[in-house]
Amino acid sequence: MTSICFYFQVHQPFRIRNYSFFDIGTNNPYEDDLKNEEILHKVADKCYLKTNQKMLELIKRHNGKFKISYSISGTAIEQFEKYRPDVLQSFVDLANTGCVEFLAETYSHSLSFVYSKKEFVRQVRKHGKMIKKHFNQEPKIFRNTELIYNNELAVFLEGMGYQGVICEGVDRLLNGRSPNYVYKPQGADKTKLLLKNHLLSDDIAFRFSDRGWKEFPLTADKFSTWVHSVAGQGETINLFMDYETFGEHQWESTGIFDFLDHLPSHIFKHPDFDFKTPSEVIANYPARDTYDAHNFISWADTERDLSAWLSNSMQHEALKQIYSLEDKVKACGNNEVLKIWERLQTSDHFYYMCTKFWNDGDVHKYFSPFESPYDAYMYYMNVFSDLEIKLNEMIEKIEQPVLVHQPNQINLEFPGDAQNLGVLIENIQQSIIEETNAKNTSLAVA
Amino acid sequence: MKENLPKVLMLGWEFPPIINGGLGVACHDLSSAMSKFADITMVVPKSSLEFKTGKVKLVGANHMNLASLPNYSVSKEMPFNLHSIPVDLDPYYTSSSTDGKVSSGFYNEGKTGSQTGQFDIENLYGGDVIKKVVQFSDIAAAYASTVDFDVIHAHDWMTMIAGMRIKEQTGKPLVMHIHSLEVDRSGPQSKGWVYDLEKQGMEYADMLMPVSNFTAENIHQYYGIKKEKMSVVHNGSVAVPAYKSKKSFKEKTVLFVGRLTRQKGPEKFLDIAARVLEKDPNVRFVMAGTGDYFKSMLEQSSYKHIGNRFHMTGFLNSEKLRHLFSISDVYCMPSVSEPFGLSAVEAAQFGIPCVISKQSGVSEVLKGALTFDHWDIHKAADHILSLLNDQIFRKKIVSDAYQNLDNITWDISAQKIMRSYALNNFIN
Repeated sequence: MTSICFYFQVHQPFRIRNYSFFDIGTNNPYEDDLKNEEILHKVADKCYLKTNQKMLELIKRHNGKFKISYSISGTAIEQFEKYRPDVLQSFVDLANTGCVEFLAETYSHSLSFVYSKKEFVRQVRKHGKMIKKHFNQEPKIFRNTELIYNNELAVFLEGMGYQGVICEGVDRLLNGRSPNYVYKPQGADKTKLLLKNHLLSDDIAFRFSDRGWKEFPLTADKFSTWVHSVAGQGETINLFMDYETFGEHQWESTGIFDFLDHLPSHIFKHPDFDFKTPSEVIANYPARDTYDAHNFISWADTERDLSAWLSNSMQHEALKQIYSLEDKVKACGNNEVLKIWERLQTSDHFYYMCTKFWNDGDVHKYFSPFESPYDAYMYYMNVFSDLEIKLNEMIEKIEQPVLVHQPNQINLEFPGDAQNLGVLIENIQQSIIEETNAKNTSLAVA
Repeated sequence: MKENLPKVLMLGWEFPPIINGGLGVACHDLSSAMSKFADITMVVPKSSLEFKTGKVKLVGANHMNLASLPNYSVSKEMPFNLHSIPVDLDPYYTSSSTDGKVSSGFYNEGKTGSQTGQFDIENLYGGDVIKKVVQFSDIAAAYASTVDFDVIHAHDWMTMIAGMRIKEQTGKPLVMHIHSLEVDRSGPQSKGWVYDLEKQGMEYADMLMPVSNFTAENIHQYYGIKKEKMSVVHNGSVAVPAYKSKKSFKEKTVLFVGRLTRQKGPEKFLDIAARVLEKDPNVRFVMAGTGDYFKSMLEQSSYKHIGNRFHMTGFLNSEKLRHLFSISDVYCMPSVSEPFGLSAVEAAQFGIPCVISKQSGVSEVLKGALTFDHWDIHKAADHILSLLNDQIFRKKIVSDAYQNLDNITWDISAQKIMRSYALNNFIN
């Protein structure tokens, strides 16, 4: 048997406005509410509602044999609640079919795993609670922001009790092996990995409407033939993509919805093929080999690494500065401040600052609300400066020394047994030791 | 106008409200002040009909009916054996040279070369600048043959060809007012076509009026022109309604204003900022203006990890700029080569202490300012820290500079020019 495993990323950031130097210290808002609302309405109408409707139809038409999975960021859910409750309801309807799995991720689609394990744990827990509240599921499979992944993440997540992780099948790491099997991460024992088949995924997500592509136009029939050709040489074909592929990146006029409509029936023409959710794939297939990602990988750009968010000094500076506020944000105990800080961690802000050119640059530009990466950085740092001022004022008012890391205070409410919790605490403590060392080193240098 | 006043034919390039930098403001303020002592006719490539300039007769080439000028003809070749033809550059940012001759059809293509139409100029510095400069000289020379005047007074290299042609055709004395040199803009090694034009023009002129001793020295050193031929006329300034505003944050503010080009030393400002922040993190550095260093400034400030203390505003209108002055604690002008530097005077008017490079003309008249060699960022940082931390010192510096302002007026500049005209028998 070979399974098709669909996973869709649903995410919307809270974009900030052209926040000038003259806004610093005022009470002017950081976020561009008008633009965020406008974009959400556009994507809701062009993609979310239509595609959800289609998915629901397909699940019913195929009597529950068509299965899919989503990860929806906390910032996206918040925007649904604020602007389009009908979209949220349509996801709830999908959840109620029992054919849809919701995955875990960081609440604000952040790079927290790279910068602060403590914040990462907090965000993942917050996101899990939100998924439970809306969809009545406890996520068992994790997918990090834009499939950012390394061995350490898998080990860490195993400690948190997650059964599987979704990541990119990077050619240089597969080294000739097929992404169409379940793998195990280097250094973890129980966690399993699902690797994105980037060729077949990108045929839909990027090349579908490319008239210069020799396979254009792509039909469900043709695509199914490619999928069926895997028979006997793979157990899971992982098709991971942005949900906005349907109707937004690929407009309705390209025929993307017709493609989707016909795909399951063409896949089912071969008796050895079915659809499974990530949890089902992991339960049904053993890990066939080890996937060793010593360095960070991701699904972004052609480099498939962190360079979309961390390749120039502006991105490094902005990220370093925002995470430098963590202790103060948590010490001041103000939920509104915490929310603002959390939203400013959203990876999109740093993606807009990317100065890489060529084809990837075009993608960055397409998504950016700013005229240039330099503007994105300039306005972000102005917002940051204002937040820093307000935070310092609040800290002064409460006249309380800034809390240092206190790992014992972390409320450990995630799935998993006591042993795993021990690993987690060890991990966090280790990261604190490393951070402290790094701080001491930098102090010594200064 | 009184008949007995001397008549001055001025040649300008940018002029309010159509301006790009300080030149337009200086030409306007100077000509207005001079109009008390002389009949001033100011010829510029582009004027706005709504814009009135007191007693100055403003003539815009864009409003002239070329067909009615009896001696108007279009140059087929570069005047004065100037050979280099530049293509699409902005002379206030850089200069490069491209060798070549005037191509055929260069002057009679489309609307700009029309013999009967009006001079049509969209952008004073965009596109092929020398073409505009030569066209302007054709029109100005034809216009000059229809009016009576005693002295030709040309401002900067863009009007030099026109000035030379008018002198050639009328024999009237030619004064060149030097606000900025190619060696300021592009460095002392620059030897491009603008440099050639400047050198030839200044040699041809009867008298030079540089805006500072610093510029006079540069003219002597880099263009080999005798100082006897020069009469330094420092810029003046117009009193601005200065005020103080309350900042919306508590950190002190250090301000840079200017085009972000090599000449203005933006990267020095960044180095100074990093140095000051090492000693005192409670300071914000604000860079107002735009230019080809804009991106590099953001990159470098992030590289130095001062992204939360170094703020760029981009281009600001005068209202915003005044607001910025009103909340600033120190003005810093680290120019590599600044013929004058009017913005420092404006800062002084706002009661802001100035820390400015010695390589500036304004330091000769704004004696209350603290100075440093543009490469000495440590000294600049020390000055700034002293001003931020020592209130008594700060008050003294502010009041010293404030007293200098009485001697920085356009009336003084205008009188000096009239005196020089008379001493050299350009006027009776």
